[in-house]
Amino acid sequence: MKRMPHLAAAIVSFFVLTLALIGLNDYAQSIEQEYVNALAPLNLSQTLNGITLQRAALYRPDLLLVYGSSEMTVENTPYQAEKFFATYPTGFTVFNVVNLGAGSLTMAEDLAALGPDLKGKKVVISITPAPFTFSALTEEYYAGNYSRLHAYGLIFSPYLSTGLKFAAAQRLLGHPKTLQNDPFFEFTLNHMVDTSIQNQALYVIMWPLGELQTEIMQLQDHAEALFYLRDHSVDPDVKRIPQQIDWSKDFQDALAEQKLHTQSNPYGIEDWRWKLFQGKSEVPYPAGSGNAAFLNFLKTSEEWPDFKVLLDVLHELGAKPLILSRPVNGGYWTAVGVSEDAQNAYYIKLHAIVDPYDMTLVDYRQYTNDIYFSMDSVAHTSRYGWVYVDQTLDQFFHGNLH
Amino acid sequence: MWIKHLTNFFTAIYTNPTGRVVLLTLYYLAIIVGLIIMYGRGNFTTPKFVYQGF
Repeated sequence: MKRMPHLAAAIVSFFVLTLALIGLNDYAQSIEQEYVNALAPLNLSQTLNGITLQRAALYRPDLLLVYGSSEMTVENTPYQAEKFFATYPTGFTVFNVVNLGAGSLTMAEDLAALGPDLKGKKVVISITPAPFTFSALTEEYYAGNYSRLHAYGLIFSPYLSTGLKFAAAQRLLGHPKTLQNDPFFEFTLNHMVDTSIQNQALYVIMWPLGELQTEIMQLQDHAEALFYLRDHSVDPDVKRIPQQIDWSKDFQDALAEQKLHTQSNPYGIEDWRWKLFQGKSEVPYPAGSGNAAFLNFLKTSEEWPDFKVLLDVLHELGAKPLILSRPVNGGYWTAVGVSEDAQNAYYIKLHAIVDPYDMTLVDYRQYTNDIYFSMDSVAHTSRYGWVYVDQTLDQFFHGNLH
Repeated sequence: MWIKHLTNFFTAIYTNPTGRVVLLTLYYLAIIVGLIIMYGRGNFTTPKFVYQGF
């Protein structure tokens, strides 16, 4: 120490810094646990792009994490789960991790970053048939939902198998724009194209740097949460009003309200959406005329391999998910030339992929021809459809869904 | 006058081996804290897009 004062000082500084960061981490976690219920309805961007608030929500006994996309937000109605369960009527509310255009791959990255905290936890994965059957998610949507923290959390996860991480790397490489300003990550991914010994060895060499970067980003995430609470007045106490839900009445009221908004067409498409539909003058199309295109998209959609990565992440981390699909809007798709058999191909493929994982899957297939379940062709949930979803979420949370 | 006292004080600490390590440690910690303040804040923003999935 006498001869190497700089080395001694550096070691002590490193030790003090490590202790301080551990202290910051613990402090931030305790604050996040205290405030997470109050932050749930705020839909903060930090909730979406970070991980610490999601992790805090996982450990709350009265929060149900829901991962999803536009089907969770487009219809602005009191029947939307976030509003329906806002006062914890049956003992819980939803913690939405949802954003427009979110796809299976960004959800997989997000959930992977939660790591072993997911073990044994109930989460809801909300999907619609659209990206699997006719409407690919764009690069802008992926970039707008991409989180570097989540992507690192997936690729450098010490809790996922090598095979899964290498398969996920292939999927991430399909979105080069998000890797443009991250040469280290891009280099790592480029050397995960196959599981050769050289690539695996290189991954092992890169891993400590990747893991260190992930830890730094998690600390930054904690800091952002603390900054938000410092700058905004948030009351940690939330209003809880226990009450019995009269599902029959809610179904009746929601249906009546939905009918008032769908009077311009016989397909259950909401009036404002029908107005924007370019091809309405040609509807109905000849029966079966749309089958080929529909089935080809179903077969080749890039969303399926991303969805497989998502299911593998959930499986390897021991989560207890509910895969909650919306039904195909049967009336509309029949009108544009896609037969019932072709529509059913979606459900068949969905089950073929999900069933081997022994996960709870609800597809609302029985409502395919209920024209009021969806509000548009993309199967965004209508007011009426929301009551079904709310009932399912309630059953799932309380362990009554089989 | 007080500058001279301060200089003598730090010189006395610095010539002591333990005191030197303590001062150097504080110096390194100050640099680290400064770097964290300047560059430590993360960027969690994402590019905006117009949702057209209707």
